Amino acid sequence: MVTALIGFGVLLALCLMGFRVGFATLIVGFVGFALERGVSSALGMVGQQIVADAMNYNLSVIPLFILMGVFVYRSDVSRDLYDAAYSVLGGFRGGLALATVLACGGFSAVCGSTLATAATMAKVAMPPMKRFNYSDRLAAGTIASGGTLGIMIPPSVPLVIYGTISETDIGLLFIAGVLPGLLLVGLFLVAVAVVVRIDPAQAPVAVPLDPARRKQAVRATLPVLILFVVVLGGLYGGVFTATEAAGIGAVGAAIIALSRGYLRKVGQWRDCLVEATITTSKIFIVIFGAVVFTQFVNLSGLPYDILDYVEAQQMSAMHLVAFIIAIAILMGMVFDALGILLLLVPVFLPALYAAGVDMIWFGIIVVLVIEIGLLTPPVGMNAFVVKSVLPQVDLGDIFRGVMPFVAALCVGLALVYFIPEIATLLPGLLR
Amino acid sequence: MSQTNRSAGRLGTGLSASIRALEWVSSVLLLAMMLLTFVDVLGRYVFAQPVFGGTEILSAMLALSVFAGLGITNARDDHIVLELFDSHVRRMMGGIYDVLIQGFSIAAMALIAYVLAVAAVEAWHYDARSYVLGIPTGVTVGVISAFAIFSVLSQIAGVILQFRTRDTRRGV
Repeated sequence: MVTALIGFGVLLALCLMGFRVGFATLIVGFVGFALERGVSSALGMVGQQIVADAMNYNLSVIPLFILMGVFVYRSDVSRDLYDAAYSVLGGFRGGLALATVLACGGFSAVCGSTLATAATMAKVAMPPMKRFNYSDRLAAGTIASGGTLGIMIPPSVPLVIYGTISETDIGLLFIAGVLPGLLLVGLFLVAVAVVVRIDPAQAPVAVPLDPARRKQAVRATLPVLILFVVVLGGLYGGVFTATEAAGIGAVGAAIIALSRGYLRKVGQWRDCLVEATITTSKIFIVIFGAVVFTQFVNLSGLPYDILDYVEAQQMSAMHLVAFIIAIAILMGMVFDALGILLLLVPVFLPALYAAGVDMIWFGIIVVLVIEIGLLTPPVGMNAFVVKSVLPQVDLGDIFRGVMPFVAALCVGLALVYFIPEIATLLPGLLR
Repeated sequence: MSQTNRSAGRLGTGLSASIRALEWVSSVLLLAMMLLTFVDVLGRYVFAQPVFGGTEILSAMLALSVFAGLGITNARDDHIVLELFDSHVRRMMGGIYDVLIQGFSIAAMALIAYVLAVAAVEAWHYDARSYVLGIPTGVTVGVISAFAIFSVLSQIAGVILQFRTRDTRRGV
């Protein structure tokens, strides 16, 4: 157990110093394993783990869903989504911010990446909000927070990785993300309404869209809605596996992009495919590192020491999950989604299984905590993404702006924690 | 033009050409993965005939695509980093910082390339094959280990170029 804790310490130090997360995790795991079992065993283990994961059919869902997101992202559908959302919510005070939340939810449904959602919506939603004198705090805070919906509303790359680690059905996890995702959209809308109610100066009244544009935007959004229904409906109805849904989704997204005048040149196809491949490789190197590190942690006996402790303390499933949430929130201040998933979940798996925790519910809880981590300082990845797209906005304003949404996420976390059916109802109907 | 600048230029051109080649390879692989999955589903529901061994082909293509992509990611040093204290540490450590970070990444990737090469030789030796199509595992793992070796070389070339460019700017 002590070796594993030292390993965690060294890994944290290396990551904080700027060593590449995937490589640092791999080397620490390899050295730790070699110290326990010898270099030869460690080399064999690293080879086996990497080959097994690189050729894992279930993980092929990752590049395909990323590709789907890249096609949608590059086909400039976000502007129509935003205008369609504004035509629904534009009548309310703070309508542009409310529309941003709704458009983020819609974009998330076909994108699956929190960073892509935040970056895209920053480009689309910020100009109109600036034009109508919305405060930077509300505008940038809404965009950064809306981006987090990308990993809850399916498809979601973190849920795929969680499903692989915990051996939970990825399709069921996606279905489980639907209600919590909608709940979060609702809570974010309430957060905007509360902010605007307290300080109306943050969101002056904007001009409604002209009817022709409204009609055009709603019509342009329909294919995206259909794609979401096909992908999720196929999963829900048992027509596709997650990988097949991703492949169908990618083809559908390519058709949408083609219909919007994109992907008409070979170079545009190549750009999309290369972007998706690079993102996939970045994720896989972290996965390789984490599986090697997990082998070392398992060998050290830490997960079973935790299991013994949980049993000795007669900790209930709810207490155990609360304890893990606390650790994950702390980790979320430093690590990104992959770091939390790959370093935290394997350590607690034996204890979670022994306590009889519903792993689908727990997956949704973990993603909720990751969403909080994406917004909270010092690392708050989404705040940095919005800052990189909108360099004129003060980072402090962005962090202050996300706080009402962090509060909304905490409410969402509490609701899913105390009412697990929010996550388990839909998958339960399928099981 | 000095000898150093000429060799840096040649290295740069070679690296760019290699990355372009990898971009094409990885693009074709990912496109093929997408189409294979689509055709498989279509074949199953429309023609009652899915692609035979589609799962195995997809698994092999996933590995190839990931390692082809890694070559590009490594050459560009485009990996996930926690940007919290790195700028402070860089300032404290000076020039040695980049050597340390890049050296570490190269060592890690070299480890991956080595274990993959060993795994390929072993799979070849035992004539390991996939269950349905009988694809020789040694070939698949051999190709990904070749990509990994190439990846290490592209990392080294990228680092040399980075340092040469910096030295040239400083007038060294």
